[in-house]
Amino acid sequence: MQFLQPHSWREALEARAAHPGARPIFGGTDVMVDLNFGRKRPETVIDLTRVPEIREWNREDGLLRIGAGVTYTRAITELGNLLPGLAMASRTVGSPQIRNRGTIGGNLGSASPAGDALPPLYASHAVIEVASTRGTRRIPVGQFIIGPKRNVLEPDELIIAFIMPEAEGPQQYAKIGTRNAMVIAVCSFGLALHPESRSVGACIGSAGPTPIQPRDAENFIEDVIEEHDLWESRAEIPASALDRFGVLASEAAMPIDDVRGSADYRRHAVGVLARRTLTWAWNEHRGVAG
Amino acid sequence: MSTTTRTTGGAIGASLDRIDGPRKVTGTAPYAYEHRVDNPLYLFPLRSEIVRGQVTGIDASAAEALPGVVVVVTHENAPQLADTGDRELAILQSGEVAFRNQYVGAVLAETFEAARHAAGLVEVSYAEEPHEAELREDGDLYTPEQLNAGFPTDTEEGDVEEAFSSAAVTLDGRYTTPMEHNNPMEPHTTVAVWKAGDLTLYESTQGAHPVQRTVAKIFGIDRNRARVVAPYVGGGFGSKGLPHANTILAALAAQMVEGRPVKFAVTRQQMFTGVGYRTPTIQKIRLGADSEGRLTAVTHDVIEQTSKIKEFAEQTAAVTRSMYATDNRRTTHRLAALDVPVPSWMRAPGEAPGMFALESAMDEMAEKCGLDPIEFRIRNEPEIDAETGLPYSSRNLVACLREGAERFGWRDRTPAPRSHQEGRWLVGNGVASATYPVFRLPGSRATIRYEGDDKYAVEFGAADVGTGAWTALTQISADAIGVGVDNIELRIGDTAFPFASVAGGSSGITAWGSAIFEAARVFRERHGDNPSEGDEVQARTPNNPETENYAMHAFGAFFVEARVDVDTCEVRVPRMTGVFAAGKIINAKTARSQFMGGMTMGLSMALHEESLVDGRFGHVINQDFAEYHIPTNADIGEMDISWIDEDDPYVNPMGSKGIGEIGIVGSAAAVANAVYNATGIRVRDLPITPDKLIQ
Ligand SMILES: Cc1cc2nc3c(=O)[nH]c(=O)nc-3n(C[C@H](O)[C@H](O)[C@H](O)COP(=O)(O)OP(=O)(O)OC[C@H]3O[C@@H](n4cnc5c(N)ncnc54)[C@H](O)[C@@H]3O)c2cc1C
Repeated sequence: MQFLQPHSWREALEARAAHPGARPIFGGTDVMVDLNFGRKRPETVIDLTRVPEIREWNREDGLLRIGAGVTYTRAITELGNLLPGLAMASRTVGSPQIRNRGTIGGNLGSASPAGDALPPLYASHAVIEVASTRGTRRIPVGQFIIGPKRNVLEPDELIIAFIMPEAEGPQQYAKIGTRNAMVIAVCSFGLALHPESRSVGACIGSAGPTPIQPRDAENFIEDVIEEHDLWESRAEIPASALDRFGVLASEAAMPIDDVRGSADYRRHAVGVLARRTLTWAWNEHRGVAG
Repeated sequence: MSTTTRTTGGAIGASLDRIDGPRKVTGTAPYAYEHRVDNPLYLFPLRSEIVRGQVTGIDASAAEALPGVVVVVTHENAPQLADTGDRELAILQSGEVAFRNQYVGAVLAETFEAARHAAGLVEVSYAEEPHEAELREDGDLYTPEQLNAGFPTDTEEGDVEEAFSSAAVTLDGRYTTPMEHNNPMEPHTTVAVWKAGDLTLYESTQGAHPVQRTVAKIFGIDRNRARVVAPYVGGGFGSKGLPHANTILAALAAQMVEGRPVKFAVTRQQMFTGVGYRTPTIQKIRLGADSEGRLTAVTHDVIEQTSKIKEFAEQTAAVTRSMYATDNRRTTHRLAALDVPVPSWMRAPGEAPGMFALESAMDEMAEKCGLDPIEFRIRNEPEIDAETGLPYSSRNLVACLREGAERFGWRDRTPAPRSHQEGRWLVGNGVASATYPVFRLPGSRATIRYEGDDKYAVEFGAADVGTGAWTALTQISADAIGVGVDNIELRIGDTAFPFASVAGGSSGITAWGSAIFEAARVFRERHGDNPSEGDEVQARTPNNPETENYAMHAFGAFFVEARVDVDTCEVRVPRMTGVFAAGKIINAKTARSQFMGGMTMGLSMALHEESLVDGRFGHVINQDFAEYHIPTNADIGEMDISWIDEDDPYVNPMGSKGIGEIGIVGSAAAVANAVYNATGIRVRDLPITPDKLIQ
């Protein structure tokens, strides 16, 4: 096995172009497990940890542009106030060791429906920036991930960053696991309120082939909020509407039975999490604790 | 001449720090794989890709061509074993495959990486035969002659059917526990080397001498030509109690490269085949009681599995034979022989799954009788041990229940199920009893030698599997000899020392400690208080005549608070109380860890552990720690652990009863009972996962 260690973004893209079958590696928390389990045995591995460009984040045209190599720990400590939903999700990942090494770019690369960083990206309509020696393109996250562990990355492309707006309202992330730490989600739910654009972003994790944006639920609750003029009045969302939001989210899920949980349980739990995260976020919007 | 003043005890009972602690935290305590050997080879196993059938061809050419590969061992070229009677251990003697992932060969190479890579290049072809790898209640069952540890298969007293028909209250419950894998942190590892017909094994084992005897027999050599070294062991929980095929594979392969050490560490995934596991169980319990809540009939019928190649019959219903008083009782065990690896010991084999069922049933029955579950148990407290007809040497279950109720705050419990909610959490409390027999394994010997300078060497081959035996045995030696712990030089974990029985069945301290006391007595008799350098005696664990007069068991009680999310049904256990009556506690600190470890494993059994087999392919599919869950630190809340001061003059000279296993016995039921109290949902099939609590 060949191990390449480019020191600049340019070198990285050239290495990738020269070795289309190569496997990029950043934190290695997925790649090394695959190697160890004998699932994949690439001829070439390209280590991206020495590439400074993808470890940075900055503001660009009023948006946040976050390098693929930003770890969960940094998402919590450096981006916690700007992207509270992503920070909440990051806190649920693995253990301190995994959060120190694992990256959001790696989560996008793996494209697991259970990836904890993904629902917050969907809920805030993040865009993924990918590049090759041929050029750069930007793809909305919902089009970037196309199936279980499948994304649209071409063999010569690398993920350089993802771009999303700074939180303009409350954000939430909730995850169900059968233990309190070091657990792959049985199901999860990310939610973001966008008071300026008067919209609600939501995403279901680990209950379908990809993360799923429950559009009917989003549209329904946006209509309810408009109809009752709740963005301004900051009054409570009627309980029946919260329930309906949960039901619609639950209907959008496409879960399967697996070792972590049954499909029926997942469908039920997605509804609970949807209702819960909306309640929490809305309470925050109203300035009410809890 | 020694001038030491003799102490009159005091070491036993002290909270001495682990004497092996500094060596372990500084990394200087060698575990099996870490023993320095010259010029080793690394072994990577080949494992069958079918469940049952024959190997029809092996193409190792690509593997053999790889740089660093020394030999590919298969049944076509492996040396013959002298004894093939044990079919679990008689590996590579034919092309027969008896279960999925069974060893069909191994690669030896200069590096681990080369061995592993080469193993992936060996092409094995098979003739496949139909198989049955899943336990089914309606499958073919048979009655074993006897159970593990020699317990009888079935028992019957009185007339149960008659008693049921006249009982005021009856309960009929079916409980199941899943297959579980021991998974000690240190996997099974062996370093094997043959030199001039002598075999040395650096082995991760619970018993150096038992391994020595097994390999000597299998390889047809004299016992004293096989040496087994195991000074430090990273856990076993029973899986290292009996040697498994991995040890034989390493030794067999090493025979082909005479003189070169062969290192074999089983990977975590490989730990899910071939090193033992807890059988799944299907248990039916019927209870009958009179109107006062006194049990008039108890039956406990068990179905479990074994392997077609070797019988292991877990004694699941044995606890029910003595736990509570009744005049009419029946227990039975039936086995399904399947195309599966051989089940074996896992912490409290029999007691752990059996008490989950019995103590769940007792909780259900208490409610049916309208009694508090503690009161119900106290009403059914026996006068004597029903299994032997003997009185107990000491039985303090009631004291444990009462003390635990006090410490836990049981009186604040709301008895009606689903009657206490705090925010989104349904809160419930549960209780269960624990018991474990005092096993006394024969044959251990201890040497005591005065080495001058006030130092006494104490030697025998016992293995400390991480329990704290190094420390506790030093304390016992100090009191037995009548000196301070600093005057003791303990040497264990090597067959170069006298025979020691296995660290299993919570029997180690009883067996080895009794040998130490006997040796110390003989030493003083022969050499007096002022021995000369080199004075030495060896003595054997004496028979204990009191075992004819008394039944000997440890007891305990668990109290659990469970919280269940009212919507998602996630279960959390913020606190557990355990009170034990286990005789004299030798070391308060290490004992607490044993109890806590047992209770943690009980919680794990209740909520997490389950090996899932895909019957089509015959192997465990969740064979890693991402999918086979054990609790993390974040899952363990407050652990309140204490014990009753128990003075039992009959068990052994220390007055101790064994503490390694009792913590897991019944603790899973206490969790299930607390979940019931919280939710009103009785989960009879472990583990208790959220989807079983959705209404
Ligand atoms: C013990 C443990 C616990 C875990 N717990 C969680 C958890 O709770 N939640 C969760 O979501 N995940 C969890 N994971 C999975 C893993 O940590 C995450 O998916 C993490 O985000 C991967 O990031 P990484 O940098 O380590 O990726 P790597 O392993 O380096 O790479 C992952 C994938 O992305 C590709 N890749 C990486 N960087 C790029 C790039 N710049 N361009 C193109 N492709 C790229 C790689 O080729 C590979 O396919 C856990 C893993 C372990 C080992």
